[in-house]
Amino acid sequence: MPATDIAIIGWSQTPSVERSALTEVQLCLKANLAAVAAAGIDRHDIGFTCAGSCDYLTGGPFAFVANLDAAGAWPPISESHVEMDGAWALYEAWVRLQHGDIDLALVFGSGKSSPSNPTELYPQQLDPYYLEPLGLDPDSIAALQARALLDSGKATERAFAEVAARSRRSAKSNPNAQLSGDTDADTLLAGGYVRAPLRSHDLPVYSDGAAAIVLATADRARQLVEHPVFIRGIAHRIEVHQPGSRDLTTSPSTTGAARAAGHNGQAIDVAELSAAYTPQELILRESLGLDDKVTVNPSGGPLTANPVMATGLVRIIEAAQRVADGSAHRALAHATNGQGLQHNLVCILEGEQ
Amino acid sequence: MSDTTSTKVEPVMMDHMVSLTYVEDLPPNTVRFAEALVEGRILGQRCPVCARVFIPPKDYCPLDVVELTPDNDVEVADTGVVTNFTIVAPVRYYGQTKTEPFVYASVLLDGASGTLGGQDVSGIPADKVHAGLRVRAAWKPQSERSAEGQSARGWGSVAGCISSFEPTGEPDAPREAYEEHTI
Amino acid sequence: MTDNRHTVTSTLEFPYRRSLGTVVGGFVTGLKDHRILGIRNKNGDVLVPPSEYDPTTGDSLEGEFVEVGPGGEVTSWTWVPEPSSRHPLSQPFAFALIKLDGASTSLVHVVDVGDIAAMRTGMRVEPRWREEPQGLITDIEAFVPEGAAQ
Repeated sequence: MPATDIAIIGWSQTPSVERSALTEVQLCLKANLAAVAAAGIDRHDIGFTCAGSCDYLTGGPFAFVANLDAAGAWPPISESHVEMDGAWALYEAWVRLQHGDIDLALVFGSGKSSPSNPTELYPQQLDPYYLEPLGLDPDSIAALQARALLDSGKATERAFAEVAARSRRSAKSNPNAQLSGDTDADTLLAGGYVRAPLRSHDLPVYSDGAAAIVLATADRARQLVEHPVFIRGIAHRIEVHQPGSRDLTTSPSTTGAARAAGHNGQAIDVAELSAAYTPQELILRESLGLDDKVTVNPSGGPLTANPVMATGLVRIIEAAQRVADGSAHRALAHATNGQGLQHNLVCILEGEQ
Repeated sequence: MSDTTSTKVEPVMMDHMVSLTYVEDLPPNTVRFAEALVEGRILGQRCPVCARVFIPPKDYCPLDVVELTPDNDVEVADTGVVTNFTIVAPVRYYGQTKTEPFVYASVLLDGASGTLGGQDVSGIPADKVHAGLRVRAAWKPQSERSAEGQSARGWGSVAGCISSFEPTGEPDAPREAYEEHTI
Repeated sequence: MTDNRHTVTSTLEFPYRRSLGTVVGGFVTGLKDHRILGIRNKNGDVLVPPSEYDPTTGDSLEGEFVEVGPGGEVTSWTWVPEPSSRHPLSQPFAFALIKLDGASTSLVHVVDVGDIAAMRTGMRVEPRWREEPQGLITDIEAFVPEGAAQ
């Protein structure tokens, strides 16, 4: 049975900052109000709301319930939550809209990383028996992946630095980016290792931020906005958790998700990839078959703005923006979950045919 | 898997203490609330759409989904009525600090649209506490007041400045004055 | 850090007591005897660390433990120059993927060699055992270059 066509008709993101004075709820409220306004709808027309966030990141049990203030949960609304990046909340909303009984959905993702230390916090998402007791932090996992990639001959440290330099230059035109600037690989390679072979430029920034998207079924989308961005396909796949049980230099789950989303080698104009570490961009490019003609992370990507739990949703926004403004006909947005690209979501976006 | 012996194998256990530290700046609305509280004033915020007064200020109205500003701040009285209460018999759990039964009351301050929860009621035997009891805040001495207990994620706390509520001696508030807030 | 004078520090603590089951329980029991155990799947692969289900096929794996190592080869590594209080060692060390002899997958653990210059992919390592086992993965205190353990 063919899927119902769903389009993105409105979006908003708060500027990524290292430390926001606002609460997560207040950030979500800004994003939601702006996305709903951009879509030209009344919030009471929304048939389903889905949010992505992480209570452990917030440090508050059931914090996601408090976040519902930003969605206006009175009169009672139909809503759901995923303890994941907002990209997965969008996936759930896309599935919900397939039922055909409602035509509008609100999706938001949010996170404040500033109150916590990733080295202390992130091991809690790992196997509690074999990995958490080692305090295996995210930079270390990414570094194991980077080392494996270097050893395979598929990349060099210079290639990593070039990803970082290009990302920062691209971020200069992104008003929502936290980090941007002119630099080059030679300058970056002069820095010392943080987790050999990774240097600080190979690591993501951490941001406080929120993002929201309004989805509509095709007919409703065409009534509401001039340039609906159609979701041609969306799918996600996951791999085994133990880092030592998979090949860290490839991303078969990304390849599988892309294929399931209908990506069969067609030309992609823009790809927004959730590569929080420079080597991961190279791995993702290969797993998606992206050649040099594809513009990757024109927004600057997570190396320059990384509101954890919204980063993937922001990739979808950045890709949608470029489809809507005509600078891309077909775009690919990627989100990731877990460490070392364990779990990956691919979304293919296109303007009206 | 076959069990080839008749001896019961003791289950293997593992202790795991998850300890996570968060350092947060209070948001602007909570800073205004905390600073006013130290000065002996209780700040609420009125929504221009529904006219409800939220304590503490949230800088938004959750019912109308509009952003609010310091211009919407209003002061509420430090007197009010107990809308509901329970006497809690402390249970031992990791982190528990209470050892004796204590009053846990909701107080609707005059001018507020919502209650302050988890308040102690003093100056009256616990078994005499009842809904409708008119109370006033028992403030800590100025030098002892602090912003302690505030958090960016909590419901707003007055614990750093107000130690409890005590009866004013007035007749009980009629039920209609507070029955909307008994839950 | 902003200059906001209202900063709140809070620590959440959740004490957990986990039952390990027969597979993970069998593994940590083996560590007390200075044995590292993997588990064989239907393909004949030896998964280390042992899991209760084959992650590829979903088959239940309870039962077939296989002793591996004690030595093995580093298949990837990184260097931690400033360990945090959450790391298992307080001096600079390497996190590594270690393919123990007889295993089909690599174990994540730490290598204690003193200097990053001593680390390379392919080096042979063996476990240094904690004196007082606690029934945890850290009963292997660290891996060290083969021949260097006491």
